[in-house]
Amino acid sequence: MAHAKEAEIFNRDESKVNWHDKALWFVRNKRDKAGSNVKGWEELRNLASAIKANVLSNLDNYLVQFEENAKKNGVHVHWAANAEEHNKIVHSILSKHKVEKVVKSKSMLTEECHLNPYLEANGIEVVDTDLGERIVQLAKEPPSHIVLPAIHKTKEEVDVLFQEHLNTKPSNGDPQYLTSEARKHLREKFLKADAAITGVNFAVADTGGVVVCTNEGNADMGTHLAKVHIACMGMEKIIPQEKHLGVFLRLLARSATGQLITTYSSHFNKPAPGTEMHIVIVDNGRTKQLSRDDFRASLHCIRCGACMNTCPIYRRSGGHSYKTTIPGPIGSILSPGIDLKKNSSLPFASTLCGSCSDVCPVKINIHEQLYQWRQIITKEVKQPVVKKSVLKITGRVLANSKMYGFMGKSARFMLKHMPRFMIYSKLNAWGKARELPKVKDGNFDEWYKKRQKNE
Amino acid sequence: MVILMSGIKKDKKMSSRDSILKAVKNNKPELLPLPEIDLDVFNEDINLLETFIKSVELVGGRAKVLNSISDLDNEIKALYPNAKQIVSSVKESDFGTVSISKDTDPHSLETIDLAIIQGEFGVAENGAVWISENDFSIRVLPFITNDLILVISKDAICLHLHDAYKLISKRERTFGLFVAGPSKTADIEQCLVIGAHGAVSLTVMVV
Ligand code: SF4
Repeated sequence: MAHAKEAEIFNRDESKVNWHDKALWFVRNKRDKAGSNVKGWEELRNLASAIKANVLSNLDNYLVQFEENAKKNGVHVHWAANAEEHNKIVHSILSKHKVEKVVKSKSMLTEECHLNPYLEANGIEVVDTDLGERIVQLAKEPPSHIVLPAIHKTKEEVDVLFQEHLNTKPSNGDPQYLTSEARKHLREKFLKADAAITGVNFAVADTGGVVVCTNEGNADMGTHLAKVHIACMGMEKIIPQEKHLGVFLRLLARSATGQLITTYSSHFNKPAPGTEMHIVIVDNGRTKQLSRDDFRASLHCIRCGACMNTCPIYRRSGGHSYKTTIPGPIGSILSPGIDLKKNSSLPFASTLCGSCSDVCPVKINIHEQLYQWRQIITKEVKQPVVKKSVLKITGRVLANSKMYGFMGKSARFMLKHMPRFMIYSKLNAWGKARELPKVKDGNFDEWYKKRQKNE
Repeated sequence: MVILMSGIKKDKKMSSRDSILKAVKNNKPELLPLPEIDLDVFNEDINLLETFIKSVELVGGRAKVLNSISDLDNEIKALYPNAKQIVSSVKESDFGTVSISKDTDPHSLETIDLAIIQGEFGVAENGAVWISENDFSIRVLPFITNDLILVISKDAICLHLHDAYKLISKRERTFGLFVAGPSKTADIEQCLVIGAHGAVSLTVMVV
């Protein structure tokens, strides 16, 4: 189903959509505040972007260096060309150790590879231990956001879910109570697990170490209790030197949630005595994206989620409407590279307002890449979706909401919902003025002009 | 030749490692320079201790400044009067009731009420404290304990993470981490709840 249709489904519950929209915008504001308190914030973003550009231009050498150093530290390194191979490797490590129970911390890569169903089909229990991920796992849903996996769920829904699966008492969705029950439930799982799987936030070429960041402590509870730790990483997670972590860790949590840093930034270099550590390096389409001049920079992404939080379409259509592992603006430039036809409506799920590019800590030109994909899709994909899509999506998502009157009901509302070029250049000192790519669609142009006249 | 899902042409005999590296080599752009980090851009003349304390509070922890290390145990007693199972790796504290070694089964630490760990230094910009495996023998300790106390010297506070990475550049690399505040989550309707899977409180004693 095309994004617009999916978005329409999400929009049927108006109060929930409004809450979703507001909650994410709040996170976006926290990000602004956190960034503006850092001296040299823009320089940090420039550095991060330039370091990532260097990484991609020298990726083969960094990968080899990383492997060499990790092996020296007694870590096993595996390579997977695609999702299938990744799953097989993970399963073979688990089989070797006769593992029956696995705890997993957040990893978008293992979502991308559909590792859970694969292991479950092989008789292994996999428990997601990040609270948000556990919630969506119990609900048999994919995460709807890469940092806030259960942002689409109300606390009342979580309450019902926990009553069913964790035998909790009805609490009207008391977050404190529900979290403490989840803590007990997952504590049991940590204590009984034979192996722990984690993602990787950064892999350092010159030390062979990996860094995993969490707020909950779930990655560490898993890895330090189990005998086997498997860390799964996309090949673009490499950074050249350990000191570059200084740049990326300063940016990551601030961009993601407005926190100064995540509670735990764990540096794994050697396995603990008596335990094994494995790292699986995964391609799964990344080398292909690397070959595309216009879209290569999408591999800079450090998965902070800021582009989702700021996107007017994402906020009002929800992560599930994208039908991809990575939703939102970044997902919409990664996914067409994986399956152009299936994901052809996604680059149209944008107003091209550029807010995503403005907040991206590694300065990916997201909205420009969205525009580039549109050009390719219009040429290559023959289907009605292209013709109809452009305004339909913005229309469905934005105009559908009663709140979203084009003439605006109040200045405060407009400030919240208007695309960036109306807000950032004048009112928000944070946003930087930037040339927009030309919006080809007449309706959009017309609408923009009308807006200006009415101001 | 078989074409894999990712679109890499792979020789049947070639390992995935080699075919991935070959594809990267063919597909990567021309070498771009690795930028230098100019620390002057990030330099600030601020009171490190004050900033650190503020940051610790912002990340949900609490900081206590002690005049002398001999006040440590009294302070801990006042804060955690009911703690029974206590591990201390700080030599100035006699408060420990459970001793651990490299051979301790990490699962046995499940019942620990309080861990007192020597931190190496604090970071003013974000309230994080660096601790390394050498400071606590069993890796799971700072996470599995109900409450956590980290002790650092007030002279051991650096401005930002760039300086922090300089301080740990020569360490023996096994396992180490920055801890900033207690474990927390906001996964239920964005409501902040302190105490997810790790320690439910964090106190930094600055001596
Ligand atoms: S594209 Fe940029 S803003 Fe979006 S998740 Fe990735 S790093 Fe964050």
